[in-house]
Amino acid sequence: MKLALVLTLAAWGAAAQVTYPDLVKADPRNWLTYQGPYHARRHSLLDQINARNVRDLVPKWVFHVPGASRLESVPIVVDGVMYVSQPNEAYALDGRTGRLIWEYRHEPAMQRGPNRGLAAYGNRVYMGTPSAELVALDARTGSLVWKAKMAEPEEGYWSPAAPLAIKDKIIAGIAPGDHGLNGFLDAYDPNTGERLWRWHSIPKPGEPGNETWAGDSWKTGGGNTWLTGSFDPELNLIYWGIGNPAPDFDGDVRKGDNLYTESMVALDADTGRMKWYFQFTPHDVHDWDAVEIPVLMDAPFDGKPRKLLAQANRNGFYYVLDRADGQFLLGTPFIKQLNWATGLTPEGRPIRAPGIVPSLEGTRTCPPTAGATNWHSPAFNPDTGLFYVVATEGCGINYKARDTFRPGGFPFMATGYIEDPEEPWQMYVRALELTTGKLRWEYQQIGSKRYGAGLLSTAGGLLFAGDEQGALTALDAATGKPLWHFNTGQQITASPVSYEFKGKQYIALAAGSNVIAFGLHDPAAEQASE
Amino acid sequence: MRAIAILLVCAALAWAQPGRRGRGGPPAHAAPLNPAEVEQGEELYNQSCTMCHGLKGTVGDRAPALAANRRYLRATDAALFDAIKNGIKGTLMPPTPLPDADIGKLVAYIRSLRASAVDAPVNGDLTRGGAVFDGKGACRQCHMVDGRGGLLGPDLSSLGAERSLRYIEEALTRPKAHIPRGYQPVSFVDAEGRRVRAVVKNETNFSLQLLDEAGRLHLLLREEARGLRYEEQSLMPADYDKRLTAGEFQDLLAFLSRRARSRGTR
Repeated sequence: MKLALVLTLAAWGAAAQVTYPDLVKADPRNWLTYQGPYHARRHSLLDQINARNVRDLVPKWVFHVPGASRLESVPIVVDGVMYVSQPNEAYALDGRTGRLIWEYRHEPAMQRGPNRGLAAYGNRVYMGTPSAELVALDARTGSLVWKAKMAEPEEGYWSPAAPLAIKDKIIAGIAPGDHGLNGFLDAYDPNTGERLWRWHSIPKPGEPGNETWAGDSWKTGGGNTWLTGSFDPELNLIYWGIGNPAPDFDGDVRKGDNLYTESMVALDADTGRMKWYFQFTPHDVHDWDAVEIPVLMDAPFDGKPRKLLAQANRNGFYYVLDRADGQFLLGTPFIKQLNWATGLTPEGRPIRAPGIVPSLEGTRTCPPTAGATNWHSPAFNPDTGLFYVVATEGCGINYKARDTFRPGGFPFMATGYIEDPEEPWQMYVRALELTTGKLRWEYQQIGSKRYGAGLLSTAGGLLFAGDEQGALTALDAATGKPLWHFNTGQQITASPVSYEFKGKQYIALAAGSNVIAFGLHDPAAEQASE
Repeated sequence: MRAIAILLVCAALAWAQPGRRGRGGPPAHAAPLNPAEVEQGEELYNQSCTMCHGLKGTVGDRAPALAANRRYLRATDAALFDAIKNGIKGTLMPPTPLPDADIGKLVAYIRSLRASAVDAPVNGDLTRGGAVFDGKGACRQCHMVDGRGGLLGPDLSSLGAERSLRYIEEALTRPKAHIPRGYQPVSFVDAEGRRVRAVVKNETNFSLQLLDEAGRLHLLLREEARGLRYEEQSLMPADYDKRLTAGEFQDLLAFLSRRARSRGTR
């Protein structure tokens, strides 16, 4: 008995399943974070599936997520075990067969969504919840190990973003952006759930940046952190996009630039202190959250090698920054229908087009509030040097009214917008040259108008894109020519991933209410497999 | 036996004169259970109800087992109260002559039979029960509670909210007829030729998802699970009434029955 106890105790403390070096190394057989590797390029180095054989790609399995509608979860995969989520729920699946290993149901199960995925560290996986908690689950059984309260759910807070595991910390963001609730980014101890630091996205009186808020408007300024950021282990900086100011459409009551809403911030991973920020849309009045994924790469810019950060922003501009110091290097539209600004100053500040602000009678605004792009992930392929983004061409009508903040999680938007379903919106996959933003090619997603799916680039020369019509399509990364497609049967609103298990490469994604994994047709193996 | 039952039913019917019915309405639903009321309800139950509904509501020879694992037609206190007081037309269930206060006690007892363990009165010392869980009972070797413990058995952090007291008692004292899904012990020979002991988390004709004693997952196709053997016995001992003293057993039961995450008893 004693021996057994000792053995069991040893098993509790068994070697960590996912270590920080694992996360830095990012073995392409695993997909360890929401973004894949920390740099968030979403470029898998696996090439077993490639432009030559992609026509032989077939579905290997489907896992139906009970009760799900439009999943936005991006699976993570650790040594063949896939972890995928929906609000309040996590599932561990056999990555080869799609068979369920465990499931976790969180209580209290508040009805707020979506949930975008999990983080893995040690022998645990981590997930944010609609009750604004961060939970740590045993990766082998789904047992709840600890939960940490991030904020008061009764105030309207919740946590949809996939957490990000870095060295000895789990980084977690918060939502929503439209309720006048001020945002923050937290770091938690992976072992205990103790909060190690909190960075507030809206500066308090006396702090730099508070002067960019008229009067007390900073108190209900918003600025949330609802999509996962990226990380540079060498610079030890976390990059995170900050959401819109509140009330969304009435800027009159919050005169000023409204820092750090609509900004990219770089935070010291050890302390949570801000090293630099760059604000894309000062004093935004169109609800263009700047949470879109910051993608990191090293490349020459103006003849000098630089550490870059690229972001295709919801406001319609594609930006390249120096990620060491936040210097603005490039900003250029990646959509054609852009009427709110005539360009950017040399410092990257938008030059506003007069009159394109929300009004009582409604103002036609391009891009619309849904944005030129949104949560759906971009990708960067170092082989082609192209930055890929899912772009929406379209316009909306934005209105303004006086609104009053009410505590308790009520919208504080100052009315809203009309996105006319009859408007001829159109989604595209666009390939931009990294350092110029010039359009190299585009692929029209016929029939897809809004809220697209994210992208996955692979060393096999492929770019995988889902769409509103339910198609998962493999495009030639160099030309945008479609090489393969599959009708998943449901609107895709999540991003694909790739992993390898027992020598086989898979492409997997959440499509509607299902998780589907694809692999190359292998008649010999099909006999033995599911 | 049958003759006695029919006699009792007849007697009950005979008592059920219209004029003798109490006036009080049914009690409000889902008040917290009062241990004294439950105890008195059990006495009344044993006098009037066991013949048809079985001891502790478990048998159900001529009538539904009131505490069995089934969907009840009468789920609320008011519906239970009405069935006891007025009987159920077209069945053997008679109206009772008992005063409303006693009917209320019967309702409380039936609710206690059905209740999650955390809602049922139970004697025993929580702290001592926790010590038995960690020590003499060796439960934590296989079971996690509040994020600490073994992986092979179910997480018991919310056991009291999920299961009835009777279920927990039986799990500790009676071998299960069938090993629950997710906990079938097996062994197989791994690539290094070692025999590995594990439990089956999931399986089909074609694949197995196994969790071994060291907490490692093995995701195998059937043909990869060499020398696969299914064990007949669950890993869960079912003789805690013999391993432990009566006091220790009761303390353990108290500890287990009060695990209810949603009630904040972590």
